[in-house]
Amino acid sequence: MTAHTADGFLSLENLTVEYPLQSGRKVHAVTDFTARVRRGETLGLVGESGCGKSSAARAVMQLPRPTGGKVTLDGQDLTGLRGKALQQARRRFQMIFQDPIASLNPRMTIRDIVAAPLEIAGIGTKADRHVRVAEMLEMVGINADQAMERRPHEFSGGQCQRISIARALILQPDLLVCDEAVSALDVSVQAQVLNLLERLKTELGLTMLFISHDLAVVKHVSDRVAVMYLGRLCEVADAETIYRNPVHPYTRTLLSAVPEPDPDAPPRQVAVIPGELPSPVNPPSGCPFRTRCPRASEICAQQMPDLAPIAPGQMVACHHPHIDTP
Amino acid sequence: MGDIILDVRNQKTAFVTARGMAQAVDGVSFTLERGRTLGVVGESGSGKSVLSRSIMRLLPSNALVPADSRVILNGRDLTRMTETELRRLRGPEVAIIFQDPMTSLNPVLTIGRQITEVLTFHMGLKRRAARDRAIELLRAVGLPQPDVRVDQYPHQLSGGMRQRVAIAIAIACEPDLLIADEPTTALDVTVQAEILDLLQRMVRDRNMAMILITHDMGVVAGRCDDVAVMYAGRIVEKAPVRDLFHHTRMPYTAALLASIPKITDPPHRKLDAIEGRPPDIINPPPGCPFAPRCLRADAGCDAEKPVLAGTSRHQWACLNPLGEEAPA
Ligand SMILES: Nc1ncnc2c1ncn2[C@@H]1O[C@H](COP(=O)(O)OP(=O)(O)OP(=O)(O)O)[C@@H](O)[C@H]1O
Ligand SMILES: Nc1ncnc2c1ncn2[C@@H]1O[C@H](COP(=O)(O)OP(=O)(O)OP(=O)(O)O)[C@@H](O)[C@H]1O
Ligand code: SF4
Ligand SMILES: [Mg+2]
Ligand SMILES: [Mg+2]
Repeated sequence: MTAHTADGFLSLENLTVEYPLQSGRKVHAVTDFTARVRRGETLGLVGESGCGKSSAARAVMQLPRPTGGKVTLDGQDLTGLRGKALQQARRRFQMIFQDPIASLNPRMTIRDIVAAPLEIAGIGTKADRHVRVAEMLEMVGINADQAMERRPHEFSGGQCQRISIARALILQPDLLVCDEAVSALDVSVQAQVLNLLERLKTELGLTMLFISHDLAVVKHVSDRVAVMYLGRLCEVADAETIYRNPVHPYTRTLLSAVPEPDPDAPPRQVAVIPGELPSPVNPPSGCPFRTRCPRASEICAQQMPDLAPIAPGQMVACHHPHIDTP
Repeated sequence: MGDIILDVRNQKTAFVTARGMAQAVDGVSFTLERGRTLGVVGESGSGKSVLSRSIMRLLPSNALVPADSRVILNGRDLTRMTETELRRLRGPEVAIIFQDPMTSLNPVLTIGRQITEVLTFHMGLKRRAARDRAIELLRAVGLPQPDVRVDQYPHQLSGGMRQRVAIAIAIACEPDLLIADEPTTALDVTVQAEILDLLQRMVRDRNMAMILITHDMGVVAGRCDDVAVMYAGRIVEKAPVRDLFHHTRMPYTAALLASIPKITDPPHRKLDAIEGRPPDIINPPPGCPFAPRCLRADAGCDAEKPVLAGTSRHQWACLNPLGEEAPA
């Protein structure tokens, strides 16, 4: 099944996120983001800092609602929901936010933080909730007895991150949006948490949108990977394929910059991309990457390349993709 | 021996909590020379951030440090200084990039204000000059459109942009010692490479020193001279980078290295996590803190706490270190 025809448990259609500025102009954080994710599938989302990953993730969560486009989860149009109905639906999709410490209320105890989603949803008695919170904390490798009555500032960055993972999982959501959810964890705790997420995926059919700058981690958990640049998708492909044979010039650069955990690795000619990420207030004409792209030609400035299939399970938005077969 | 800039002696930091004393840093000693970068890795909660705050003397009020813990920077004992003296020294002599950029930036001030404040206080720059310098710094850390971004508030920036602002503030006064606590976790690999290039250049050209706390073993392998591995508040192994990777002695270090996801692996391979959890730092076990999870542990490990031993080049705290198997 190609990415294009995958049935959509989560379906994003022409998602657009804009932030108004005081000057009256707009930040085009996400433009025309279209993707489908099957039930039980993990879509990895990667791209340069500031390219719009968190904005897209928050739009999926309706936090806030996107400026344009549609988000459908299991046939239900989330963008059309209001008030109580949205509150009800929220049980099914949860997010782990990027700033682990800042996203936890400093005045609440860990127990109350993790129990909050249950309480809001009116699930269980106080005693039930206590048991459930303890289970969740243990699952993410936090000693519940030691942690429950303490407050966030008494925990390390990685511990706070695991607390927010426990909070996001406590309602057993169908969809989990992970925004840099494991980046504050050392590799051994990270391995525990990733193994846990993989288990939930196979046992409960958890569907995930997984944002991370760690490309080895993304490869590890993803079935497919989407690469963003300046608010737009530039390549989407099966995880194996995109790492073996990236065809978009930006994807190539990104993969060439991954630091290897080997002190003897030859210092690589890291393709540091010339120039800076263009302003999302005033994006370039045509292909957004063309101001920094080594393959850019005239047509790249004139015409926006469409995201189109190039091989089975691989789509790219580029006028001159790398299709040189080995 | 080179020129020692930082000498930490028997640093212990505990927190008073409702359950008792939490010994977050438990007797850490090391020295750092100018021109070198020390990587610090270790389990989440092992005391890396508390150690950096202890060096900076920026601890919360429930922290306790015994009188014999010493932090000597440029030959001067920070533990003997007043808060006013410390404030003058933080910035130009030692600066820190905190782990969570959102909590270290002031949400109601523009990022420009936050940088210029540092520049006017420590460097005596006038308003106009400080603003120009702030833009220059933002450009140096690779923030796009620095002249526009300078007037924005933290919430208008992406996570990685905020992290770069925090880096710009820390390097604004060109410190002799820079402590960088996970400075590039929110950055994509291309921006990360640029920032680490910049920091490495500063260390080399200005002969400063850097403590780089990171979970990214790729960053450790490529950017550090030496590595200290922490577990339960202690340094359990310390060595030059290549020795640590190739001649690992401490079983925890070995387990840590084994759990790195490899980009060459196929998707969904089960990772080698370390079973179990680190000890409760309020009731630590009497022996080696890693013993309950260690595959090499024997009765001795449960009874005796191993001390850091070895050579001046490579030290480890383990009673049954790797690489010492008796010949068959
Ligand atoms: N509230 C806001 N107001 C104005 N601009 C915003 C706001 N939030 C985000 N932006 C801008 O939108 C763009 C995309 O930001 P976003 O946080 O989605 O990026 P990201 O891909 O998650 O980056 P990172 O990897 O650094 O977290 C950036 O240019 C950012 O400055
Ligand atoms: N203010 C505090 N009060 C009580 N305990 C604290 C406080 N601050 C930190 N701790 C505890 O001290 C220990 C060390 O925390 P620290 O933040 O140094 O860990 P870390 O090694 O930086 O971890 P990470 O990699 O997750 O950032 C943790 O167990 C934490 O819970
Ligand atoms: S469309 Fe042109 S500018 Fe854009 S990535 Fe492809 S070759 Fe480069
Ligand atoms: Mg983000
Ligand atoms: Mg920390």
